[in-house]
Amino acid sequence: MKNLRVLLLTCILFPIFAWADPVDSYGSEYQCIEIGRWDIGLALGYGSRSNPLKDYDDIPIYLVPTFAYYGDYWYFDNGNIGYTLVEDEKYTINLTTSFSTDSAFFHRWDPSNIFLTGSNNFEPSALFSETRVTLMGEEQSVPTANELETRHFTYLGGVEAYIYTRIGILNLSLAHDLLNVHQGTEAKLKWLYNLSIEEWKFELALVLDWKSEEVVDYYYAIRPSENAYWSQNYQAESAINTSIELTSHYVLAKHWQLLFLARYTQIADEIVASPLLNKDYTSTFFVGTAYRF
Amino acid sequence: MLNQVLVLLFRLLPIGVLTLSLLSGSAIAADEDEELGSILTLSPEFCITSADENVCELTLVLEWKNEFFRPICILSDYKEMAKWCAESAETHSLTLTISATDDIQFVMIDKETHQTLAGVKLKVTPAAEPKVRRRYRNPWSLF
Repeated sequence: MKNLRVLLLTCILFPIFAWADPVDSYGSEYQCIEIGRWDIGLALGYGSRSNPLKDYDDIPIYLVPTFAYYGDYWYFDNGNIGYTLVEDEKYTINLTTSFSTDSAFFHRWDPSNIFLTGSNNFEPSALFSETRVTLMGEEQSVPTANELETRHFTYLGGVEAYIYTRIGILNLSLAHDLLNVHQGTEAKLKWLYNLSIEEWKFELALVLDWKSEEVVDYYYAIRPSENAYWSQNYQAESAINTSIELTSHYVLAKHWQLLFLARYTQIADEIVASPLLNKDYTSTFFVGTAYRF
Repeated sequence: MLNQVLVLLFRLLPIGVLTLSLLSGSAIAADEDEELGSILTLSPEFCITSADENVCELTLVLEWKNEFFRPICILSDYKEMAKWCAESAETHSLTLTISATDDIQFVMIDKETHQTLAGVKLKVTPAAEPKVRRRYRNPWSLF
């Protein structure tokens, strides 16, 4: 149902952008980078990322850094390391790494939360101490839970492809846990569209993010040591999150930009069913001023 | 067989005539400067612009020799010096400080007859562009 909403949105947006003036969707300024030179930037402003975990605070955002270095084949881009196997006018194939974004909800200093500051409740909490559930018509007490065990951060490694078309860029990726944390796999299908209107640059993205059962189980399932009842009654399954992102910047001067970032992720029903969550979405926004060195 | 060869030669005849005409034309043009006895030289002849400003700022020296005594003028497509005339026939050089983004053509003419005597060109070449490649991630898409 939720995927359907995204699909409908895509159907509405695709024709609008397809009819727009022809724009080189992969030739815009920030889609190219000088080889052999660090690209460093820092944005200062205000934003927030909502935390779908029960009893966990939202994550405020005041500073956003960006740093990247591209060689002829190797590259480092905001923490991701990659190697380009094939670079063609119409497509690219890379070996690449990526973060486990789910761990960010559990850890204040997760790499996905770099430079986000503020007071947060990121201590594992006793989520189930007051929980009472109705089972077979009878109200039963659920045993008091221990604290949540740590959900570790991990790096994913795999292969990705970019296909460049007149109506945007299609990005497909498949990545597996490299650090043996959950031994799961993630796959992503992303459609990106870049649009430049004078000094305004827009990037719209629609994302389908598949997580294997191992990933969902590691982050969102309840372990027997945490709560015996829920460890039996919530069974993790593979899931697909759907997201829409808008990244926009206005070029003020050679080094200065105004930034507007927004992202909305509809969390899959299979994950929302976890007792750890009390929201079925997570949203992020940021407004600020950026300086590119 | 003979007929076919003759037909082929006949068909190629206009091309041969045209080639000869062009060759003789360029030879005539080369001879013309020598006949006028005028030489105009420029130093330096090339300038590579800086990557940041894309402008050439330098001092040029134009020098000339004329076999026959005659007053001359220098014309150019450089806005700051469209025309300059030597005050005496003893003058054989001109020093210019220029700021250019494009090539500049200098032509020496006879001051009285306006006959073109010789020409030189300053070639302005932009610095090599830095090598770039596609960036695969949006710089600000950290979330």
